[in-house]
Amino acid sequence: MSILASLARAYERLPDAPPFGYSVQNIGVIVGLNEDGTVASVTPWFDGEGKKRKPRPMLVPQPVKRTAGIAPNFLWDKTSYVLGVTSGEGKRTADEHAAFKERHEKELAGTDDPGLKALLLFLRRWTPDQFDASQWSDDFKDQNVVFALETDRHNNLWLHNRDAAKALWMRVSGGDGKNPQICLVTGKSGPVARVHPAIKGVWGGQSSGGSIVSFNLDAFTSYGHMQGDNAPVSEAAAFAYTTALNTFLSDKKHRLQIGDASTVFWADAEDAEAALLAEAAFPEFFDPAKEDADTTKEVKILLERLRKGDQELDKDLALEAGELVKKLEKGVRFYVLGLAPNAARISIRFYYESDFGELARNYQRFVNDMRIEPPWREPYAPLWRYLVETAVLGKRENVPPNLAGEWMRAILNGADYPLTLLSTVLSRIRADGEINALRASILKAVLIRNYERKVPVALDPTMTDSKGYLLGRLFAVYEEIQRAALGGNVNATIKDKFYGSASATPRKVFGLLESGSANHLAKVRKLSPGRAVNLLKLQDQIMDLMEPSKGPYPAFFSADEQAFFGLGYHHQHSDFFKSRKDNQTDASGETAQ
Amino acid sequence: MAYGIRLKVWGDYACFTRPEMKVERVSYDVMTPSAARGILEAVHWKPAIRWVVDAIHVMKKPQFQSVRRNEVGSKIPAGKVKSAMKRGDLEGLQLLVDEDRQQRASTVLVKPRYVIAAHFELTTKADADDSEGKHLDIFNRRARRGQCFHQPCLGTREFAASFELVEPGDPTPEPAPEDRTRDLGFEDARRLGFMLWDIDHQAKGKPSMFFDAVLRDGVMQVPQPGSPEIRK
Repeated sequence: MSILASLARAYERLPDAPPFGYSVQNIGVIVGLNEDGTVASVTPWFDGEGKKRKPRPMLVPQPVKRTAGIAPNFLWDKTSYVLGVTSGEGKRTADEHAAFKERHEKELAGTDDPGLKALLLFLRRWTPDQFDASQWSDDFKDQNVVFALETDRHNNLWLHNRDAAKALWMRVSGGDGKNPQICLVTGKSGPVARVHPAIKGVWGGQSSGGSIVSFNLDAFTSYGHMQGDNAPVSEAAAFAYTTALNTFLSDKKHRLQIGDASTVFWADAEDAEAALLAEAAFPEFFDPAKEDADTTKEVKILLERLRKGDQELDKDLALEAGELVKKLEKGVRFYVLGLAPNAARISIRFYYESDFGELARNYQRFVNDMRIEPPWREPYAPLWRYLVETAVLGKRENVPPNLAGEWMRAILNGADYPLTLLSTVLSRIRADGEINALRASILKAVLIRNYERKVPVALDPTMTDSKGYLLGRLFAVYEEIQRAALGGNVNATIKDKFYGSASATPRKVFGLLESGSANHLAKVRKLSPGRAVNLLKLQDQIMDLMEPSKGPYPAFFSADEQAFFGLGYHHQHSDFFKSRKDNQTDASGETAQ
Repeated sequence: MAYGIRLKVWGDYACFTRPEMKVERVSYDVMTPSAARGILEAVHWKPAIRWVVDAIHVMKKPQFQSVRRNEVGSKIPAGKVKSAMKRGDLEGLQLLVDEDRQQRASTVLVKPRYVIAAHFELTTKADADDSEGKHLDIFNRRARRGQCFHQPCLGTREFAASFELVEPGDPTPEPAPEDRTRDLGFEDARRLGFMLWDIDHQAKGKPSMFFDAVLRDGVMQVPQPGSPEIRK
């Protein structure tokens, strides 16, 4: 299914979706009218108290899409339109108010509904200076206003909910009925939406919302078509997909932020329970930080099962999960849509549609790719934690644009990772010299997927497939020798000075390192002869694996070998770190005796 | 299908832009019939014949990648060109690309590979010299030699297409076993949604025509002109 079609389908399954032609908007004021058009009451419609006071959402006729022009809504709008009053400068308030009056004079002409008549009478009578009267408050300025007949108001029946208003709105909003075209979402003939409703809540986009379907410059149009005619989508389909998307974007249960991609996801299944479970599990894949109180037991079991595989789960859990996963694998369709803004337009970063079972398998593959020993301090780091490792200064806003989306797409599809992932991580390592478990696991994952190499999870002292891995280990040994000789308080260690060139052009550096380490070793021998022997032994061991006859140090390393270098360094370095810790506890144990 | 031909086409990238997402471009999953027609016409076309695409065989699982490019924000209006021609003066008829930039994202297909199955019909412009056999021979000869009037492309001009004739009588190439997945409609037919069939250039307003695209065992059947499956 196409993106719009699947969203339009999701709309049909939304539990409390606004009906066609209506939309939920934040309303601040209700004006009660007498039948002669005089104001009977003005009621604030707020939630909360004091500073937290916020307008309350209400179902109102769909707003028109306003960009630069003046366009009034039907039966409701903000005060500058309805009353001609605004707190700002309001250069064109008078025009806006006139437009509101004019539209309603036109649409409401000839009505005999007492409510609609009252509104007409009110508009004819109203002048902006009447706002000074006591019942109006300055707080009301620039809020959205709806009307009600005073007699209806106590029953919470608003003017736009009166049957006559609804019938009129159906007629007004249903398009002119002329020029029906085939809709590319439904395949049925209908009036085509000229402009689609705005999509709000895409991170980094304009606050007034943006559009997926828009043709805002003539370079984007074809065959002389105007606006919506370039891609005929019926009014109903346009309403359905935007409503569904807006609902998902504003709902924490259907939304994730991954880098610059605002990601929405939803499940579609006959079995509503299974769909809910899938929707609850998905965000836990990529942002497990929230995993606590609101995670159900079932989601926990599913996650454990996916992360660890069946073998390592204990029996009871595995049995319980079996039933659950069967439910999810059968007939739950899952959709993921990544959006990124480009000013007023919204671009699709990625779109994924498949069975949940396949998604779960791809996630499992991702977890396996990323597994590394020793692990990061928290297991299963959220995706943004990894992404930050690609960013300058470790700031989330510095994550290279598009990288997050491309990576996410690769994870969801089980496809190759973007190679920019490897090059950015390598250049980050060169720039700040830090190589941690997160970076190492990204290196490992790219090596496995894109280069189809066999890569060890933990330190593998016998691994000889890659020169980069061996030299990375050797580099860590030299660093350790320096540390053993000079202690931890060296201003610039050989890692700080040489990591970048050692990983890229080893031949230039390693000769230097070797001669330097001889001096350090001599010092270590005096301080602690045993340690010197151990380090030398390790160095020889690594050297032996390298077949020195073929020339041990290549002139330069390609990106994949640089990744191996980083991985080898990380493995060896953390091995030293581990043994150092063990030694310390041993030593303290001895002194205690 | 008596005069059917099959042409293998492939390239590094392809963008068969969906009409609803043609600003921030998103490609269809599979080549559209009108894009296939464009490739065939690049190899051989005469006013006497009209290409009809029968089916698109998909050889590779669709894979996407998203790129951002700086493009131009406006076109030179045809009316201005006309008046410039009348005046015999180019004054005011220019488009300064570096001053009219639009950054646009495109989600494009990576390493696509298809076999186009098509045939042609003679049009009313065919005269006594035109026979179906003649044009078929011309096409086959040209495609075999790799000749084309202009470089065929996969959806947009910047994504050039390579092509190769599938010899008459040879079996249609099949996707590799690892690609015979549900993405290509094996096991279960995969619905792709409504796809652009072509533009109705004859009708007033040049409306678009759509059809319900389904991938079944790696093949997308394309409805014949005039069939009720084409919605317009």
